[in-house]
Amino acid sequence: MSDDASTAGSGSGRPAETDGGHAEPDGGAQAETVGGPPELPGGVARDEGVLNRLFGTSDELPPASSIRRWLVTTNHKDVGILYTGTALFFLVLGGILALLMRIQLLAPRAPGQGILSGFAYNQAVSAHGLLMVFWFLSPFAFGFANYIVPLQIGAKDLAFPRLNALSFWLYLASGILFVISFFQGGTFAGGWTMYAPLNVPTFTPEVGGSTAVLALLLFVASVTVSSVNFLTTMHRMRAEGMKLRNLPIFTWTILLTVWMMLFAFAALLAALMILSADRLLGTTYFAAESAGGSLLWAHLFWFFGHPEVYIVFFPALGVMAETFQTFTGRRLVGRKWFIAAMVLVALQSFVVWMHHMFLTSINLEIKTLFMATTIGISLPFDLMVFSLIYTTIKGRIRFETPFLFSFGALLLFILGGITGVFLGAVVLDYEFRGTYWVVAHFHYVMVGGVTALIGGLYYWFPKMTGRMYDEFLGKVNFALYFVGFNLVYFPMFLAWETPRRVFNYPAELQLYHQVATVGAFVLGASFLVMFYNLYTSLWEGEKVGDNPWEYAKSAEWAVSSPPPLENFPGRPSYASGALEFLGVGDDDEPDERREDEGVAAADGGVATGPPATAEASAVDAYGHEVGHGDHDDHHESHASPWPFALGLGSLLVFLGLSGMKEGTFVGGAEGAILLGSLLAGTVVSGVSLVGMGRERFVGPEVEAGEQWPFANVENMKLGMWIFLASDVVLFGAFIGSYVFIRVAAGWTGWQPIPQDVGPGLMNTYILLTSSFTVVLALVASEKRSRWGLIASLSATFVLGIGFLINKGIEWNHLFHEGIWLSTNIRSSTFFLTTGLHGAHVIAGLFVTAYLIWRAWNGAYLDDNRPVEYFGLYWHFVDIVWLFLFPLFYIV
Amino acid sequence: MARTKLYTAIYVVLFAFASAQVAVEFAGLPYWTGFALIMVLSLVKALLVVAYYQHLRWEPRSITYVMGIALVAALALTVAASYSIL
Repeated sequence: MSDDASTAGSGSGRPAETDGGHAEPDGGAQAETVGGPPELPGGVARDEGVLNRLFGTSDELPPASSIRRWLVTTNHKDVGILYTGTALFFLVLGGILALLMRIQLLAPRAPGQGILSGFAYNQAVSAHGLLMVFWFLSPFAFGFANYIVPLQIGAKDLAFPRLNALSFWLYLASGILFVISFFQGGTFAGGWTMYAPLNVPTFTPEVGGSTAVLALLLFVASVTVSSVNFLTTMHRMRAEGMKLRNLPIFTWTILLTVWMMLFAFAALLAALMILSADRLLGTTYFAAESAGGSLLWAHLFWFFGHPEVYIVFFPALGVMAETFQTFTGRRLVGRKWFIAAMVLVALQSFVVWMHHMFLTSINLEIKTLFMATTIGISLPFDLMVFSLIYTTIKGRIRFETPFLFSFGALLLFILGGITGVFLGAVVLDYEFRGTYWVVAHFHYVMVGGVTALIGGLYYWFPKMTGRMYDEFLGKVNFALYFVGFNLVYFPMFLAWETPRRVFNYPAELQLYHQVATVGAFVLGASFLVMFYNLYTSLWEGEKVGDNPWEYAKSAEWAVSSPPPLENFPGRPSYASGALEFLGVGDDDEPDERREDEGVAAADGGVATGPPATAEASAVDAYGHEVGHGDHDDHHESHASPWPFALGLGSLLVFLGLSGMKEGTFVGGAEGAILLGSLLAGTVVSGVSLVGMGRERFVGPEVEAGEQWPFANVENMKLGMWIFLASDVVLFGAFIGSYVFIRVAAGWTGWQPIPQDVGPGLMNTYILLTSSFTVVLALVASEKRSRWGLIASLSATFVLGIGFLINKGIEWNHLFHEGIWLSTNIRSSTFFLTTGLHGAHVIAGLFVTAYLIWRAWNGAYLDDNRPVEYFGLYWHFVDIVWLFLFPLFYIV
Repeated sequence: MARTKLYTAIYVVLFAFASAQVAVEFAGLPYWTGFALIMVLSLVKALLVVAYYQHLRWEPRSITYVMGIALVAALALTVAASYSIL
């Protein structure tokens, strides 16, 4: 992923830059800077390859009626629609699995009776949970986030449009991979929480089980790319006057969601990487006999898992806040406090995870502590709920479909929230744990959130399609949905003694389960109404203007429905306190106040603030001008074939990996096919990465606007730092796992795997020296010394190779002594943690080779930022080693 | 570039500290004293690399906070998880 980040779209205002910031000295981009207007639209880029010829040059965006358009688009609105559509597909898939379970549960049955076998039921339970939580809920919310957030903040697109498309294609690839897993001997059948040791091949030996884990891994990669992109965009690309405190609430919820995602998903990434190693390479982290193994999984999973609850719920909260404001005609009561409460929850969400572990062997002191933090996190939610209720009291409610869903969501969430407080108490949890009380509770919370998101779908449908849905069918949809929801989930509270995840239950609870099954079908039917309504309205719905809603105030309603490709007629600005579009037409007068739709302001009311030009033209620590762009000469690209190609390559790579077990491929034709898939995928991914690096892609410029608190950090640099922050958590979780296991096994009784500290020390010297040469490379490029740059980069490359050779010799030595990844938990932690670090070195070396090649052709003398940003990554890899060396070699 | 000298000095310090860590190991100190010393040396090295090679010192403080939050998150996980089984 580091390569992705380093070849990402540029957000700097320089018009003629490839988005990796790799300016071409020979013709190309540099020439354009000095030359006249760039010939980008239609101009043939130098990266004319097969794919580009097939899909057209990178700047042409085919019409929406063409399938090609949807394969190459990088526009945030297109990507938003792709997310929304794909997420709805996974909703249907997860929903069908749920209906199958409900049919099975019509009566308490012995294994083998009913429509699902025991194994099929376990798969359905696990896949339903995984699909709904990961492949439906968050991506559905991110469909709106993609579409709406740039409009609400006044940006033309996300900071790195190609990375945004890449996020989507990785998401789709991961979903397809999950579907494939059903056909590889059955998908993962150990529950959506994937508890250890059930998650290791001893208990879930199917190849499909590994595929499901890998699918989730790929999904997390997509999320990480997305997080970096959204954070950079939302912090650096806001319109003038759009201070953070003025952000519409929906955008606020997405901002906090993405921050939580950045850190939480990094912990899940570590958990899944370790689990993949256990399943594919034979490490023994989560084996039943490993010290602390099953507890380790619970810690890693729930450190991610609890913030995940708010990650999926916050966007729903945002939709609720938006629609409550629009359909009551009243600004959110206590808006400032509402935001403060959400910030508090986002922070608190990282210190409550052990309430999922009250029935494990963790000590009572920590259980008590986490009970207190858990009760604590319900308090800010009280404030939010009262704020929403009070908004309806102060305003005048109009019961249109979006509001019905949002209001319903509030009721459901209140019930879901209160029943959750029971589970937060240690004593009650002893009783409720593993029962349908938990199932009912989290469905009221999570599907309660879905309820609001469906309200969001109706709310923004006119904006996204330009047509209005059918209001009557919308109300029918809501009625069926709300009745069905409560019929399926409320009886679960009453039948709470039913054991979770199990298809057998006490016979006296049968009536509740039968009611729930009926409810499930009613709920399912409500979605048929929704799909029918939206599909017919798409073609026949009444056409709408910019703003079909009275009182809707956020900026997306100030532009046409659907909005034009680059969103705004001119540069949006809130500097005067209301939204204006500056520089419309030929005269540069601030005009077009669009009074007809009412002046759109941030929903925070009066937006104030001085023009940000002073900070925007500031100079960062390294003398790069950041911020302002040359407005007239900037022509953004909107299409690239490479994200799709990289998504395809990743699908093949991960599918291929699923064939591994104990470090070798499974035998027979299946193994051969999967090995072929791995090789083909590697080639496709490699070509795509190079293609993406070489492609001339002009990202959206950063206009004078609000950039707190990163005003003087250029987009690419900020993106790199944010990526590194997630990498800190990734390595932190790996090192934390090692520490945890070592504590469990007895710290001082633990012998380091390498008997000789020598190779480790040598590699420390090598990496430190390579960090120094990277610094020298930056110095050389600042001095415009081409040979100095090439020499320092080459030295770095040689040192990196030396590091790997030294490590190879050391590992080979250990292998000859019979020490392998699967030998014991000590060797597992040693090989996997230092191996992950080694993989970072290898990734860095590919980038180094690329930089050397470009430097050879004279690059980086005028613009040394790529060298600088690569250095940030390389030094980080060095720093990690500074801790791995003592922890694995000395102490 | 005046900073080249500074970068070189830091490189020398890093090199010396790495050697010192191994020296501590063989110095025959009590285990936890040696452990603390070695980890502190690692921490100082890391801070030097971050502050000067990654020039965080000269960047807006907000980036330091972001990295600090990430570090705190990782430490919270490690410490709380390890404490939970003591």
